[in-house]
Amino acid sequence: MYINVFLYTISCIFVLLSHSAMLLNVYFNGSSESTANVIILAVAVLGLDFAYFIIMLMFKQRTYAIDFLLILILNMSVIFQSCFGGVHLSVKHYITCIVSLVACKLGYMICKNHKWLQMQKKYIYLAIGILILAILTLTGSRSMWINIGSISIQPSEFIKPLFVLACATSVAEQQKKHKFLWFYVVYENFALYGLTAVICLLQWWCSDLGSLPTFVGIFICGFFLRICYPKAKFSKKTLISAGVILLIVALIALRFAPDYVQERLHADIWNDKTGNGYQQSHALIAIADGGWFGKGPGNGSLCNIFAHENDIVFATISEEWGLLFALMVILAILIMIAVPLINPPRSYYHSTMSAGVCAYFIMQMTLNIFGSCNMIPFTGVTIPLISAGGSSMATSGFMVGMLIAAQSPEFKNPDGRQYRNAPVRRRTA
Amino acid sequence: MKSIKRSQYIISLFIILFIAGMAVLVIKIRTEAEFYMMNSDEQVLGMVYDRNGGVLFDGTGKGQYEDNFFVDVGNLIGDNKGQMTNTLVAQNLKKLNNYSFSSGTVDDGKSAIYTTLDHNANRAVYNSYGWQEGCAVAYNYKTGEILVCTSLPSIDVTKGYDGIEYFESGTLISKNMYRTVPGSTQKVSTVVSALEIMGTDKLFSKSYNCSGHYTNLNGDVIDCHNWSGHGDQNIQQALENSCNPFFAQLVEDNNDLPLEDIIKQYRKMGYAVNDDELEYIDIDGIQCEKASTTLIDSHEFRTQWGCIGQGDTMVSPVQLMMWQSAIANGTGKMTMPHLIDHVTDINGNITDTAETKFSKQIFSSDTANTIRQMLLTNGANHYVYSISGYTVGVKSGTAQVDEGAKENSLLVGFVDDPNKPIAFCILIEDKNSGYLTTEQVAKIMLDSINLN
Repeated sequence: MYINVFLYTISCIFVLLSHSAMLLNVYFNGSSESTANVIILAVAVLGLDFAYFIIMLMFKQRTYAIDFLLILILNMSVIFQSCFGGVHLSVKHYITCIVSLVACKLGYMICKNHKWLQMQKKYIYLAIGILILAILTLTGSRSMWINIGSISIQPSEFIKPLFVLACATSVAEQQKKHKFLWFYVVYENFALYGLTAVICLLQWWCSDLGSLPTFVGIFICGFFLRICYPKAKFSKKTLISAGVILLIVALIALRFAPDYVQERLHADIWNDKTGNGYQQSHALIAIADGGWFGKGPGNGSLCNIFAHENDIVFATISEEWGLLFALMVILAILIMIAVPLINPPRSYYHSTMSAGVCAYFIMQMTLNIFGSCNMIPFTGVTIPLISAGGSSMATSGFMVGMLIAAQSPEFKNPDGRQYRNAPVRRRTA
Repeated sequence: MKSIKRSQYIISLFIILFIAGMAVLVIKIRTEAEFYMMNSDEQVLGMVYDRNGGVLFDGTGKGQYEDNFFVDVGNLIGDNKGQMTNTLVAQNLKKLNNYSFSSGTVDDGKSAIYTTLDHNANRAVYNSYGWQEGCAVAYNYKTGEILVCTSLPSIDVTKGYDGIEYFESGTLISKNMYRTVPGSTQKVSTVVSALEIMGTDKLFSKSYNCSGHYTNLNGDVIDCHNWSGHGDQNIQQALENSCNPFFAQLVEDNNDLPLEDIIKQYRKMGYAVNDDELEYIDIDGIQCEKASTTLIDSHEFRTQWGCIGQGDTMVSPVQLMMWQSAIANGTGKMTMPHLIDHVTDINGNITDTAETKFSKQIFSSDTANTIRQMLLTNGANHYVYSISGYTVGVKSGTAQVDEGAKENSLLVGFVDDPNKPIAFCILIEDKNSGYLTTEQVAKIMLDSINLN
């Protein structure tokens, strides 16, 4: 059980106060025509807070800091999403937040023991293979989406945490070099390079290159940590060469990118406000319209624009809550993924995994926020934990679970015995 | 632990780069927010006023105005509907927008543009045209304040654009900003060039005969508007008579007036000669076309007509007026015109205030004073009664347009009065369609302008 009652209580109060303050803002400044809508939203948000405060105690962790941040951010997103186009509880998003919390705990359970996970790497590759096959066979004509009735699932989202795990599991293999002709090679690396290439080709085949930078970011992160692995003995020359090759590949890819990518790369959003610049121009206008403090929950107009709740959600939040608040939400996510800096993981596996998760969060936020604000080409990916979308929420939750696992690892051999030199850590909130 | 540190470095690197990007984003949004809002469909614009505080454009749309109240300035002041882009409002939406990033959009904000226009004078000039069309522009050649700038046909923007497909050509533009055939007003530029190149004494010593037409060295005939001819004339007489054969012979005088020197002087005055790139004069965001002409050979028909005021020569009324300022000031430097006197922000604080600016020297002060005296003499000899009460230096012109089917009447000039330092250009299209004269418009314009 949680050991520091004082910090636990303070953290609970902080989360509750934050959500209460937001709900009060919705009540006083929101566009709700019915107080009942605000009360329903408040009950749902605060109820989920209390429920998670209790449920999280069922998991013996060394720290619950990320859990508190997770519930703080998730319920913030529930309030945001419930205010777009008028105040009423967004049941769909609420459910996906619960799914995200479940996925988080699942991620924690699966990833807390890296020794065990290391042994399951063939299943990781197998799961990725199955997901790729599902995309190729079940999504219809060159698409990333599987539609089951009114529910749409994006299997490529689920590949992301598995890809992080694949990168992390390959790290420990770096000392196992084999002589092949005149070279010393690591077989594991070939598998990972192959996997990366397949994922890239899949994205290209589906004409959906939006997530490609996320995969590349995770891969670069994993690649860098692999070649810096203590026993890997890669030289700085290798590191620089890899960087140069990567840069050349990126430049060639940009040069020969498909037409629809080229159009986005060179879009003049203000002269193409009804075409390629439609969402970005409206997003920027909405942010400007909201100013520092916003127009009030539910008073925005961006909710009439396609994908306002996911692809351009930063602008939608900025318009209604103000740029300052939108930045604070992003800061909360940054603090969550920066926890490994304050509380370092105890194994290289978990630290690689944490870096991969960080890369995922940063790349997704970069693509979403900077893309919707026309600083980089608009790709239409989600902000983890904030944007609406079941696949994204579940994936993000699982990733947070991986972060928690790195904070509260289990140092047991697969046979159940404790490691001889398992590190001991003081428990904190 | 050292290896774990490396992963922390990577996490730190990712986060720092992202935060740096966010910082750039916030700065970008903060600095460009007003531009974004200019592209919004939910703009709350402020007011545009004339020099006496009268409304020229009501961005709130709440005011009540009499019918056609804004019609005389409709295609100059414009609106934000996107149908007219080269107008004061369209080009200055940022200044008019009642928006700031801190306050957001404020319905009762005080963003406003205070112009130099005199709405009463503008309306009087507009009304003087009756059913005829054309344009008129006048400004203070000491300060650069545009006082009158009207163009017909026009539109009252409060009535919207229903039936836009049936609007007459030129309704949605201020013709003062666009090039037209200058007719004999072009002769002012040619005289200025001749004065600059050969000097006053030599030019005044020149005398050419006009028999009603002149056959140039290439065998082409240049007709004079006076079929019986003007006889022997000097430059003063030729300018007053607007004698085409005289100017054709002057241009053909390659020894004392080499064409290369004329071209050089024309370029100095702002003409795009031959294949030069066409440029614009910026008047508070409104783009005014600069003059252009074709000068190939001094014996060539088109070149000679170019210096007389037909051929390929095109000049905007605003530029004709600006040259008058360089003459009237006696400096050879044009006073740059402006429409905005000052601007107030959302809180009513004055942000931009106009300053008088002058062009670089386009001809010498000696030339300016000489041509100034020539125009004043012309005014004294021919316009004392038609523009009574004012000492004016003027030059008229008749320009053939639509392949000679129609004739436009022009009058450029200035008032030689330190209390009413006004330079102007008046254009009446298809002058034979009515009885209105440019002098009548000039008289009404000068009478109605109130500089106090």
